[in-house]
Amino acid sequence: MKRIGLNLRIMARAFEIELRQNMTDGFVLFGILIQPLIVAFMALWMLKGKGPDYAIFVVIGSGMTGLWTTLLFNGGNSITGERWTGTLEPLVASPASLRVVIYGKVLANVTQSLLSMIGSYFLISFAMGYPLTLTYPGLFFLSLVISVFSLVSFGLILASFFILIPDFARMVNTLEFPVYILCGFLFPIALLPGWTTPLSYLLSPYWAALALHGAAQGTLEPLQIVGTWGIMAFFSLVYILASGRLYRVILRKARRDATLDIVGN
Amino acid sequence: MLNRLTTNTRIFFEGAYYSYKALFRWLRPATYLASEVFAPLTMMIFFVYIGAYASGSNSASFYVIGNSLIFAASSGIFGVTMSVGGERWSGTLPYLFGSPANRWAMFVGRAVMHVLNGMLGVFIGLGWGILLFKLDLSHTDPLALLLTILITTFSTSGLGLLMGCLSLITRNVMLVNNTVYFLLLVFSGANIPVGDLPRWMQVISQGLPLTRGVACARTIIDGGSLADVLPLLQVEFLIGVILTILGYFLFKIFEIEAKRMGTLDIF
Repeated sequence: MKRIGLNLRIMARAFEIELRQNMTDGFVLFGILIQPLIVAFMALWMLKGKGPDYAIFVVIGSGMTGLWTTLLFNGGNSITGERWTGTLEPLVASPASLRVVIYGKVLANVTQSLLSMIGSYFLISFAMGYPLTLTYPGLFFLSLVISVFSLVSFGLILASFFILIPDFARMVNTLEFPVYILCGFLFPIALLPGWTTPLSYLLSPYWAALALHGAAQGTLEPLQIVGTWGIMAFFSLVYILASGRLYRVILRKARRDATLDIVGN
Repeated sequence: MLNRLTTNTRIFFEGAYYSYKALFRWLRPATYLASEVFAPLTMMIFFVYIGAYASGSNSASFYVIGNSLIFAASSGIFGVTMSVGGERWSGTLPYLFGSPANRWAMFVGRAVMHVLNGMLGVFIGLGWGILLFKLDLSHTDPLALLLTILITTFSTSGLGLLMGCLSLITRNVMLVNNTVYFLLLVFSGANIPVGDLPRWMQVISQGLPLTRGVACARTIIDGGSLADVLPLLQVEFLIGVILTILGYFLFKIFEIEAKRMGTLDIF
Protein backbone atom coordinates (compact mmCIF):
# COMPACT_ATOMS: atom_id res chain seq x y z
CA MET A 1 0.00 0.00 0.00
CA LYS A 2 2.82 2.33 0.97
CA ARG A 3 4.56 1.49 -2.28
CA ILE A 4 1.49 2.43 -4.32
CA GLY A 5 1.33 5.77 -2.51
CA LEU A 6 5.02 6.37 -3.21
CA ASN A 7 4.65 5.50 -6.87
CA LEU A 8 1.64 7.81 -7.19
CA ARG A 9 3.66 10.63 -5.61
CA ILE A 10 6.55 10.02 -8.04
CA MET A 11 4.12 9.96 -10.94
CA ALA A 12 2.51 13.21 -9.79
CA ARG A 13 5.91 14.93 -9.56
CA ALA A 14 6.95 13.69 -13.01
CA PHE A 15 3.57 14.87 -14.31
CA GLU A 16 4.04 18.35 -12.85
CA ILE A 17 7.61 18.82 -14.08
CA GLU A 18 6.71 17.63 -17.58
CA LEU A 19 3.77 20.06 -17.75
CA ARG A 20 5.98 22.95 -16.64
CA GLN A 21 8.66 22.09 -19.19
CA ASN A 22 6.16 21.72 -22.01
CA MET A 23 4.79 25.20 -21.38
CA THR A 24 8.07 26.67 -22.61
CA ASP A 25 8.37 24.45 -25.68
CA GLY A 26 7.00 26.03 -28.86
CA PHE A 27 6.86 22.73 -30.73
CA VAL A 28 4.67 21.21 -28.00
CA LEU A 29 2.30 24.14 -28.25
CA PHE A 30 2.24 23.69 -32.03
CA GLY A 31 1.31 20.01 -31.69
CA ILE A 32 -1.34 20.67 -29.07
CA LEU A 33 -2.97 23.83 -30.34
CA ILE A 34 -1.93 25.09 -33.76
CA GLN A 35 -1.78 21.92 -35.86
CA PRO A 36 -5.09 20.43 -34.61
CA LEU A 37 -6.85 23.75 -35.17
CA ILE A 38 -5.54 24.00 -38.73
CA VAL A 39 -6.47 20.35 -39.37
CA ALA A 40 -9.93 21.04 -37.85
CA PHE A 41 -10.41 24.05 -40.08
CA MET A 42 -9.39 22.14 -43.22
CA ALA A 43 -11.44 19.08 -42.36
CA LEU A 44 -14.46 21.20 -41.55
CA TRP A 45 -14.20 22.87 -44.92
CA MET A 46 -13.57 19.65 -46.80
CA LEU A 47 -16.31 17.66 -45.05
CA LYS A 48 -19.13 20.19 -45.14
CA GLY A 49 -22.15 18.53 -46.62
CA LYS A 50 -21.57 15.27 -44.68
CA GLY A 51 -24.71 15.72 -42.60
CA PRO A 52 -25.59 17.53 -39.38
CA ASP A 53 -23.15 15.61 -37.17
CA TYR A 54 -20.01 16.29 -39.15
CA ALA A 55 -18.87 19.26 -37.01
CA ILE A 56 -18.60 17.16 -33.84
CA PHE A 57 -16.93 14.44 -35.93
CA VAL A 58 -14.29 17.01 -36.97
CA VAL A 59 -13.82 18.27 -33.38
CA ILE A 60 -13.08 14.74 -32.15
CA GLY A 61 -11.07 13.70 -35.18
CA SER A 62 -8.83 16.76 -35.17
CA GLY A 63 -8.49 16.49 -31.39
CA MET A 64 -7.34 12.91 -31.83
CA THR A 65 -4.70 14.09 -34.33
CA GLY A 66 -3.38 16.43 -31.64
CA LEU A 67 -3.43 13.63 -29.07
CA TRP A 68 -1.50 11.28 -31.32
CA THR A 69 1.04 13.89 -32.48
CA THR A 70 1.79 14.87 -28.89
CA LEU A 71 1.98 11.25 -27.75
CA LEU A 72 4.31 10.36 -30.61
CA PHE A 73 6.72 13.28 -30.42
CA ASN A 74 6.64 14.24 -26.75
CA GLY A 75 5.50 11.09 -25.01
CA GLY A 76 7.81 9.07 -27.22
CA ASN A 77 10.74 11.32 -26.36
CA SER A 78 10.17 10.97 -22.62
CA ILE A 79 13.31 8.92 -22.04
CA THR A 80 15.49 10.41 -24.78
CA GLY A 81 14.59 13.90 -23.51
CA GLU A 82 16.18 13.00 -20.16
CA ARG A 83 19.19 11.71 -22.04
CA TRP A 84 19.58 14.99 -23.93
CA THR A 85 19.40 17.03 -20.73
CA GLY A 86 21.81 14.72 -18.90
CA THR A 87 19.30 13.71 -16.23
CA LEU A 88 18.83 10.10 -17.31
CA GLU A 89 21.69 8.71 -15.19
CA PRO A 90 20.42 10.16 -11.87
CA LEU A 91 16.92 9.07 -12.82
CA VAL A 92 18.05 5.49 -13.41
CA ALA A 93 20.27 5.47 -10.34
CA SER A 94 17.44 6.66 -8.05
CA PRO A 95 15.34 4.01 -6.28
CA ALA A 96 12.19 5.21 -8.10
CA SER A 97 11.00 3.03 -10.95
CA LEU A 98 11.92 4.52 -14.35
CA ARG A 99 8.64 3.20 -15.73
CA VAL A 100 6.61 5.09 -13.14
CA VAL A 101 8.45 8.33 -13.90
CA ILE A 102 7.90 7.88 -17.64
CA TYR A 103 4.24 7.01 -17.05
CA GLY A 104 3.82 10.34 -15.21
CA LYS A 105 5.53 12.21 -18.02
CA VAL A 106 3.47 10.59 -20.79
CA LEU A 107 0.30 11.16 -18.76
CA ALA A 108 1.19 14.87 -18.61
CA ASN A 109 1.66 14.97 -22.38
CA VAL A 110 -1.58 13.18 -23.15
CA THR A 111 -3.59 15.18 -20.60
CA GLN A 112 -2.17 18.39 -21.96
CA SER A 113 -3.01 17.36 -25.52
CA LEU A 114 -6.69 17.16 -24.59
CA LEU A 115 -6.44 20.91 -25.04
CA SER A 116 -6.42 20.22 -28.78
CA MET A 117 -9.93 18.79 -28.56
CA ILE A 118 -11.08 21.69 -26.40
CA GLY A 119 -9.45 24.16 -28.80
CA SER A 120 -11.17 22.56 -31.79
CA TYR A 121 -14.47 22.64 -29.88
CA PHE A 122 -14.15 26.36 -29.22
CA LEU A 123 -13.03 27.14 -32.78
CA ILE A 124 -15.86 25.24 -34.39
CA SER A 125 -18.59 26.03 -31.88
CA PHE A 126 -17.94 29.64 -30.89
CA ALA A 127 -15.74 31.09 -33.63
CA MET A 128 -17.47 29.39 -36.55
CA GLY A 129 -20.92 29.01 -35.03
CA TYR A 130 -21.58 25.30 -35.60
CA PRO A 131 -23.96 23.61 -33.16
CA LEU A 132 -22.15 20.82 -31.28
CA THR A 133 -23.98 18.22 -29.24
CA LEU A 134 -22.93 14.92 -27.65
CA THR A 135 -25.41 12.06 -28.00
CA TYR A 136 -24.12 10.23 -24.90
CA PRO A 137 -22.23 12.83 -22.80
CA GLY A 138 -21.61 10.44 -19.88
CA LEU A 139 -20.29 7.66 -22.09
CA PHE A 140 -18.23 10.22 -24.03
CA PHE A 141 -16.39 11.46 -20.93
CA LEU A 142 -15.83 7.92 -19.66
CA SER A 143 -14.53 7.01 -23.12
CA LEU A 144 -12.18 9.98 -22.92
CA VAL A 145 -10.77 8.84 -19.55
CA ILE A 146 -10.26 5.28 -20.77
CA SER A 147 -8.74 6.55 -24.02
CA VAL A 148 -6.22 8.64 -22.06
CA PHE A 149 -5.26 5.60 -19.96
CA SER A 150 -4.92 3.48 -23.08
CA LEU A 151 -2.86 6.08 -24.97
CA VAL A 152 -0.54 6.64 -22.00
CA SER A 153 0.09 2.90 -21.79
CA PHE A 154 0.87 2.91 -25.51
CA GLY A 155 3.21 5.86 -24.89
CA LEU A 156 5.22 3.75 -22.43
CA ILE A 157 6.01 1.34 -25.23
CA LEU A 158 6.75 4.13 -27.70
CA ALA A 159 9.22 5.77 -25.31
CA SER A 160 11.13 2.50 -24.98
CA PHE A 161 11.33 2.14 -28.78
CA PHE A 162 13.18 5.47 -28.96
CA ILE A 163 15.94 3.92 -26.86
CA LEU A 164 15.91 0.33 -28.11
CA ILE A 165 15.69 1.08 -31.85
CA PRO A 166 18.41 3.59 -32.83
CA ASP A 167 16.67 4.73 -36.02
CA PHE A 168 13.25 5.07 -34.42
CA ALA A 169 13.68 8.75 -33.50
CA ARG A 170 14.72 9.57 -37.07
CA MET A 171 11.79 7.64 -38.53
CA VAL A 172 9.23 9.11 -36.18
CA ASN A 173 8.02 11.70 -38.71
CA THR A 174 6.78 8.85 -40.86
CA LEU A 175 4.48 7.54 -38.11
CA GLU A 176 2.33 10.62 -37.64
CA PHE A 177 -0.05 10.45 -40.60
CA PRO A 178 -0.28 6.63 -40.93
CA VAL A 179 -1.98 6.53 -37.53
CA TYR A 180 -4.32 9.37 -38.51
CA ILE A 181 -5.22 7.22 -41.54
CA LEU A 182 -5.40 3.77 -39.95
CA CYS A 183 -7.31 4.92 -36.89
CA GLY A 184 -10.12 6.63 -38.79
CA PHE A 185 -9.71 9.97 -37.04
CA LEU A 186 -11.29 11.97 -39.88
CA PHE A 187 -12.73 9.38 -42.25
CA PRO A 188 -14.05 5.84 -41.76
CA ILE A 189 -11.46 3.08 -42.19
CA ALA A 190 -13.98 1.29 -44.43
CA LEU A 191 -12.68 3.56 -47.23
CA LEU A 192 -9.22 2.00 -46.94
CA PRO A 193 -8.19 -1.24 -48.66
CA GLY A 194 -9.40 -4.30 -46.71
CA TRP A 195 -5.89 -5.53 -45.84
CA THR A 196 -5.30 -2.48 -43.63
CA THR A 197 -8.23 -3.25 -41.31
CA PRO A 198 -6.37 -5.76 -39.07
CA LEU A 199 -3.63 -3.14 -38.63
CA SER A 200 -6.23 -0.65 -37.43
CA TYR A 201 -7.60 -3.19 -34.95
CA LEU A 202 -4.14 -3.55 -33.40
CA LEU A 203 -3.85 0.16 -32.61
CA SER A 204 -5.43 1.41 -29.41
CA PRO A 205 -5.93 4.95 -30.87
CA TYR A 206 -8.34 3.33 -33.35
CA TRP A 207 -10.53 2.01 -30.51
CA ALA A 208 -10.25 5.36 -28.73
CA ALA A 209 -11.43 7.21 -31.86
CA LEU A 210 -14.21 4.65 -32.39
CA ALA A 211 -15.49 5.05 -28.83
CA LEU A 212 -15.32 8.86 -28.90
CA HIS A 213 -16.92 9.24 -32.35
CA GLY A 214 -19.54 6.63 -31.42
CA ALA A 215 -20.48 8.28 -28.11
CA ALA A 216 -20.50 11.78 -29.58
CA GLN A 217 -22.53 11.04 -32.70
CA GLY A 218 -24.55 8.10 -31.41
CA THR A 219 -23.25 5.87 -34.19
CA LEU A 220 -22.54 3.12 -31.61
CA GLU A 221 -24.95 1.59 -29.12
CA PRO A 222 -23.97 2.03 -25.43
CA LEU A 223 -23.08 -1.66 -25.22
CA GLN A 224 -20.80 -1.36 -28.24
CA ILE A 225 -19.07 1.62 -26.61
CA VAL A 226 -18.50 -0.45 -23.47
CA GLY A 227 -17.06 -3.14 -25.76
CA THR A 228 -14.45 -0.67 -27.08
CA TRP A 229 -13.52 0.15 -23.47
CA GLY A 230 -12.88 -3.54 -22.86
CA ILE A 231 -10.59 -3.72 -25.91
CA MET A 232 -8.71 -0.58 -24.82
CA ALA A 233 -8.33 -2.00 -21.30
CA PHE A 234 -6.99 -5.26 -22.76
CA PHE A 235 -4.46 -3.42 -24.94
CA SER A 236 -3.41 -1.23 -22.00
CA LEU A 237 -2.76 -4.31 -19.90
CA VAL A 238 -0.68 -5.84 -22.69
CA TYR A 239 1.29 -2.61 -23.14
CA ILE A 240 1.96 -2.26 -19.41
CA LEU A 241 3.10 -5.87 -19.08
CA ALA A 242 5.27 -5.59 -22.20
CA SER A 243 6.73 -2.29 -21.03
CA GLY A 244 7.90 -3.97 -17.79
CA ARG A 245 10.04 -6.30 -19.83
CA LEU A 246 11.20 -3.62 -22.29
CA TYR A 247 12.33 -1.29 -19.49
CA ARG A 248 14.28 -4.09 -17.86
CA VAL A 249 16.03 -4.68 -21.20
CA ILE A 250 16.79 -0.96 -21.53
CA LEU A 251 18.31 -0.73 -18.06
CA ARG A 252 20.28 -3.96 -18.37
CA LYS A 253 21.59 -2.96 -21.79
CA ALA A 254 22.51 0.53 -20.59
CA ARG A 255 24.41 -0.82 -17.56
CA ARG A 256 26.13 -3.55 -19.55
CA ASP A 257 27.12 -1.38 -22.53
CA ALA A 258 27.55 1.85 -20.52
CA THR A 259 25.49 3.70 -23.13
CA LEU A 260 23.07 5.52 -20.87
CA ASP A 261 24.19 9.01 -21.84
CA ILE A 262 25.28 8.27 -25.40
CA VAL A 263 22.84 10.06 -27.65
CA GLY A 264 21.93 8.18 -30.80
CA ASN A 265 22.39 4.68 -29.40
CA MET B 1 36.33 40.62 -62.06
CA LEU B 2 36.42 37.15 -63.62
CA ASN B 3 38.35 35.85 -60.63
CA ARG B 4 35.73 37.18 -58.28
CA LEU B 5 32.93 35.67 -60.33
CA THR B 6 34.68 32.28 -60.26
CA THR B 7 35.14 32.48 -56.48
CA ASN B 8 31.51 33.45 -55.90
CA THR B 9 30.28 30.68 -58.17
CA ARG B 10 32.43 28.21 -56.24
CA ILE B 11 31.07 29.47 -52.91
CA PHE B 12 27.55 29.26 -54.26
CA PHE B 13 27.80 25.62 -55.33
CA GLU B 14 30.03 24.46 -52.46
CA GLY B 15 27.68 26.08 -49.96
CA ALA B 16 24.74 24.39 -51.68
CA TYR B 17 26.42 20.99 -51.64
CA TYR B 18 27.87 21.05 -48.12
CA SER B 19 24.80 22.52 -46.43
CA TYR B 20 22.67 19.77 -47.98
CA LYS B 21 25.22 17.12 -47.07
CA ALA B 22 25.35 18.38 -43.48
CA LEU B 23 21.58 18.02 -43.22
CA PHE B 24 21.23 14.51 -44.58
CA ARG B 25 24.58 12.72 -44.86
CA TRP B 26 24.41 11.34 -41.33
CA LEU B 27 21.12 9.60 -42.07
CA ARG B 28 21.01 6.02 -43.24
CA PRO B 29 19.54 5.60 -46.75
CA ALA B 30 16.41 3.95 -45.35
CA THR B 31 15.85 6.79 -42.89
CA TYR B 32 16.47 9.41 -45.59
CA LEU B 33 13.99 7.71 -47.93
CA ALA B 34 11.46 7.36 -45.14
CA SER B 35 11.51 11.07 -44.37
CA GLU B 36 11.77 12.23 -47.98
CA VAL B 37 9.45 9.74 -49.70
CA PHE B 38 7.26 7.94 -47.19
CA ALA B 39 6.30 10.76 -44.79
CA PRO B 40 4.97 13.12 -47.51
CA LEU B 41 3.16 10.18 -49.12
CA THR B 42 1.26 9.44 -45.92
CA MET B 43 0.18 13.06 -45.67
CA MET B 44 -1.05 12.93 -49.25
CA ILE B 45 -3.01 9.74 -48.57
CA PHE B 46 -4.59 11.31 -45.49
CA PHE B 47 -5.94 14.31 -47.42
CA VAL B 48 -6.93 12.25 -50.47
CA TYR B 49 -9.06 10.02 -48.26
CA ILE B 50 -10.68 12.94 -46.44
CA GLY B 51 -11.45 14.33 -49.89
CA ALA B 52 -12.77 10.97 -51.04
CA TYR B 53 -14.95 10.77 -47.92
CA ALA B 54 -16.24 14.28 -48.54
CA SER B 55 -16.97 14.18 -52.22
CA GLY B 56 -16.39 10.76 -53.73
CA SER B 57 -13.22 9.12 -55.03
CA ASN B 58 -13.34 10.89 -58.41
CA SER B 59 -11.95 13.98 -56.70
CA ALA B 60 -8.66 12.22 -55.89
CA SER B 61 -6.66 14.01 -58.61
CA PHE B 62 -7.49 17.38 -57.03
CA TYR B 63 -5.87 16.33 -53.75
CA VAL B 64 -3.05 14.35 -55.37
CA ILE B 65 -1.90 17.35 -57.41
CA GLY B 66 -2.31 19.78 -54.50
CA ASN B 67 -0.42 17.59 -52.05
CA SER B 68 2.30 16.71 -54.58
CA LEU B 69 3.03 20.41 -54.97
CA ILE B 70 3.10 20.67 -51.18
CA PHE B 71 6.24 18.49 -51.33
CA ALA B 72 7.93 21.48 -52.96
CA ALA B 73 6.98 23.61 -49.96
CA SER B 74 8.11 20.92 -47.55
CA SER B 75 11.59 20.89 -49.03
CA GLY B 76 11.64 24.64 -49.56
CA ILE B 77 10.57 25.58 -46.06
CA PHE B 78 12.06 22.89 -43.82
CA GLY B 79 15.18 22.11 -45.86
CA VAL B 80 16.20 25.68 -46.58
CA THR B 81 15.37 26.90 -43.07
CA MET B 82 17.44 24.17 -41.48
CA SER B 83 20.32 24.86 -43.90
CA VAL B 84 20.44 28.52 -42.85
CA GLY B 85 19.41 28.12 -39.20
CA GLY B 86 21.52 24.99 -38.76
CA GLU B 87 24.65 27.14 -38.98
CA ARG B 88 23.69 28.68 -35.68
CA TRP B 89 22.83 25.41 -33.97
CA SER B 90 26.04 23.76 -35.08
CA GLY B 91 28.14 26.75 -34.01
CA THR B 92 29.43 27.56 -37.50
CA LEU B 93 27.64 30.90 -37.88
CA PRO B 94 30.51 33.03 -36.46
CA TYR B 95 32.92 31.47 -38.99
CA LEU B 96 30.46 32.12 -41.79
CA PHE B 97 29.95 35.74 -40.80
CA GLY B 98 33.66 36.14 -40.13
CA SER B 99 34.61 35.01 -43.62
CA PRO B 100 34.99 37.48 -46.51
CA ALA B 101 32.76 35.30 -48.73
CA ASN B 102 30.10 36.97 -50.83
CA ARG B 103 26.91 36.94 -48.77
CA TRP B 104 24.54 36.65 -51.72
CA ALA B 105 26.33 33.57 -53.09
CA MET B 106 26.51 32.09 -49.59
CA PHE B 107 22.87 32.80 -48.74
CA VAL B 108 21.09 31.90 -51.97
CA GLY B 109 23.32 28.86 -52.49
CA ARG B 110 21.68 27.32 -49.43
CA ALA B 111 18.45 26.92 -51.44
CA VAL B 112 19.80 25.26 -54.58
CA MET B 113 19.84 21.62 -53.49
CA HIS B 114 16.45 22.02 -51.86
CA VAL B 115 14.96 23.34 -55.09
CA LEU B 116 16.19 20.16 -56.81
CA ASN B 117 15.08 18.06 -53.86
CA GLY B 118 11.66 19.71 -53.87
CA MET B 119 11.26 19.05 -57.60
CA LEU B 120 12.15 15.42 -57.06
CA GLY B 121 9.58 15.32 -54.24
CA VAL B 122 6.85 16.64 -56.54
CA PHE B 123 7.71 14.01 -59.18
CA ILE B 124 7.59 11.30 -56.52
CA GLY B 125 4.23 12.65 -55.32
CA LEU B 126 2.78 12.61 -58.82
CA GLY B 127 4.26 9.13 -59.32
CA TRP B 128 2.45 7.91 -56.20
CA GLY B 129 -0.67 9.60 -57.54
CA ILE B 130 -0.41 7.63 -60.80
CA LEU B 131 0.28 4.37 -58.97
CA LEU B 132 -2.23 4.63 -56.14
CA PHE B 133 -4.94 6.99 -57.32
CA LYS B 134 -4.89 6.58 -61.12
CA LEU B 135 -3.80 10.17 -61.76
CA ASP B 136 -4.15 10.76 -65.51
CA LEU B 137 -1.24 12.66 -67.09
CA SER B 138 -2.15 11.79 -70.69
CA HIS B 139 -3.23 15.37 -71.51
CA THR B 140 -0.28 16.97 -69.76
CA ASP B 141 2.34 19.13 -71.46
CA PRO B 142 5.47 17.78 -69.71
CA LEU B 143 7.60 20.88 -70.31
CA ALA B 144 4.92 23.20 -68.96
CA LEU B 145 4.54 20.97 -65.89
CA LEU B 146 8.32 20.86 -65.39
CA LEU B 147 8.52 24.66 -65.55
CA THR B 148 5.61 24.97 -63.12
CA ILE B 149 7.28 22.62 -60.65
CA LEU B 150 10.63 24.44 -60.99
CA ILE B 151 9.11 27.87 -60.41
CA THR B 152 6.92 26.68 -57.53
CA THR B 153 9.85 25.03 -55.81
CA PHE B 154 11.90 28.18 -56.31
CA SER B 155 9.19 30.41 -54.84
CA THR B 156 8.66 28.20 -51.78
CA SER B 157 12.43 28.06 -51.29
CA GLY B 158 12.33 31.87 -51.25
CA LEU B 159 9.92 31.57 -48.34
CA GLY B 160 12.33 29.05 -46.79
CA LEU B 161 15.21 31.56 -47.07
CA LEU B 162 13.08 34.17 -45.32
CA MET B 163 12.12 31.68 -42.59
CA GLY B 164 15.76 30.63 -42.32
CA CYS B 165 16.63 34.20 -41.37
CA LEU B 166 13.99 34.13 -38.66
CA SER B 167 15.56 30.94 -37.35
CA LEU B 168 18.68 33.00 -36.66
CA ILE B 169 16.81 35.07 -34.09
CA THR B 170 14.33 32.63 -32.53
CA ARG B 171 14.64 29.45 -30.51
CA ASN B 172 11.24 28.24 -31.66
CA VAL B 173 12.11 27.73 -35.29
CA MET B 174 10.15 24.47 -35.55
CA LEU B 175 7.04 26.20 -34.22
CA VAL B 176 7.35 28.95 -36.84
CA ASN B 177 8.19 26.56 -39.68
CA ASN B 178 5.44 24.09 -38.96
CA THR B 179 2.86 26.83 -38.52
CA VAL B 180 3.76 28.43 -41.85
CA TYR B 181 3.80 25.03 -43.57
CA PHE B 182 0.38 24.04 -42.23
CA LEU B 183 -1.06 27.46 -43.07
CA LEU B 184 0.14 26.93 -46.64
CA LEU B 185 -1.89 23.70 -46.67
CA VAL B 186 -4.98 25.82 -45.99
CA PHE B 187 -4.29 28.97 -47.99
CA SER B 188 -2.57 27.56 -51.10
CA GLY B 189 -5.60 25.74 -52.44
CA ALA B 190 -3.86 22.38 -52.13
CA ASN B 191 -6.76 20.91 -50.19
CA ILE B 192 -9.50 23.54 -50.32
CA PRO B 193 -10.29 25.39 -53.57
CA VAL B 194 -9.16 29.00 -53.07
CA GLY B 195 -12.49 30.19 -54.49
CA ASP B 196 -14.32 28.43 -51.63
CA LEU B 197 -12.40 30.31 -48.93
CA PRO B 198 -13.76 33.48 -47.31
CA ARG B 199 -12.81 36.66 -49.18
CA TRP B 200 -10.16 37.78 -46.66
CA MET B 201 -8.46 34.39 -46.90
CA GLN B 202 -8.46 34.57 -50.69
CA VAL B 203 -6.59 37.89 -50.47
CA ILE B 204 -3.90 36.25 -48.30
CA SER B 205 -3.75 33.25 -50.65
CA GLN B 206 -2.94 35.49 -53.58
CA GLY B 207 0.08 36.92 -51.77
CA LEU B 208 1.62 33.55 -50.96
CA PRO B 209 3.94 31.29 -52.92
CA LEU B 210 2.51 27.93 -53.99
CA THR B 211 -1.08 29.16 -54.61
CA ARG B 212 -0.49 29.86 -58.29
CA GLY B 213 1.81 26.87 -58.68
CA VAL B 214 -0.95 24.52 -57.51
CA ALA B 215 -3.49 26.19 -59.80
CA CYS B 216 -1.10 25.99 -62.78
CA ALA B 217 -0.29 22.31 -62.16
CA ARG B 218 -4.01 21.48 -62.07
CA THR B 219 -4.64 23.41 -65.30
CA ILE B 220 -1.71 21.75 -67.10
CA ILE B 221 -2.61 18.23 -65.97
CA ASP B 222 -6.15 18.96 -67.08
CA GLY B 223 -4.85 19.62 -70.61
CA GLY B 224 -4.01 23.33 -70.43
CA SER B 225 -1.02 24.75 -72.31
CA LEU B 226 1.94 26.79 -71.10
CA ALA B 227 0.36 29.90 -72.60
CA ASP B 228 -2.71 29.38 -70.39
CA VAL B 229 -0.69 29.45 -67.19
CA LEU B 230 2.20 31.76 -68.12
CA PRO B 231 0.77 34.90 -66.46
CA LEU B 232 0.26 32.97 -63.19
CA LEU B 233 3.74 31.46 -63.39
CA GLN B 234 5.26 34.89 -63.88
CA VAL B 235 3.65 36.14 -60.67
CA GLU B 236 4.70 32.94 -58.81
CA PHE B 237 8.28 33.57 -59.96
CA LEU B 238 8.08 37.22 -58.91
CA ILE B 239 6.88 36.21 -55.44
CA GLY B 240 9.89 33.88 -55.18
CA VAL B 241 12.27 36.69 -56.20
CA ILE B 242 10.74 39.14 -53.71
CA LEU B 243 10.93 36.60 -50.85
CA THR B 244 14.55 35.76 -51.69
CA ILE B 245 15.58 39.42 -51.78
CA LEU B 246 13.69 40.10 -48.54
CA GLY B 247 15.41 37.11 -46.94
CA TYR B 248 18.81 38.30 -48.12
CA PHE B 249 18.32 41.78 -46.68
CA LEU B 250 17.13 40.31 -43.38
CA PHE B 251 20.20 38.05 -43.40
CA LYS B 252 22.42 41.12 -43.85
CA ILE B 253 20.59 43.06 -41.13
CA PHE B 254 20.85 40.15 -38.67
CA GLU B 255 24.56 39.84 -39.44
CA ILE B 256 25.20 43.52 -38.77
CA GLU B 257 23.04 43.50 -35.63
CA ALA B 258 24.50 40.26 -34.29
CA LYS B 259 28.04 41.59 -34.78
CA ARG B 260 27.16 44.91 -33.18
CA MET B 261 25.41 43.34 -30.19
CA GLY B 262 27.72 40.34 -29.87
CA THR B 263 24.73 37.95 -30.04
CA LEU B 264 25.81 35.58 -32.81
CA ASP B 265 25.62 32.50 -30.61
CA ILE B 266 23.02 33.62 -28.12
CA PHE B 267 19.73 31.77 -28.30
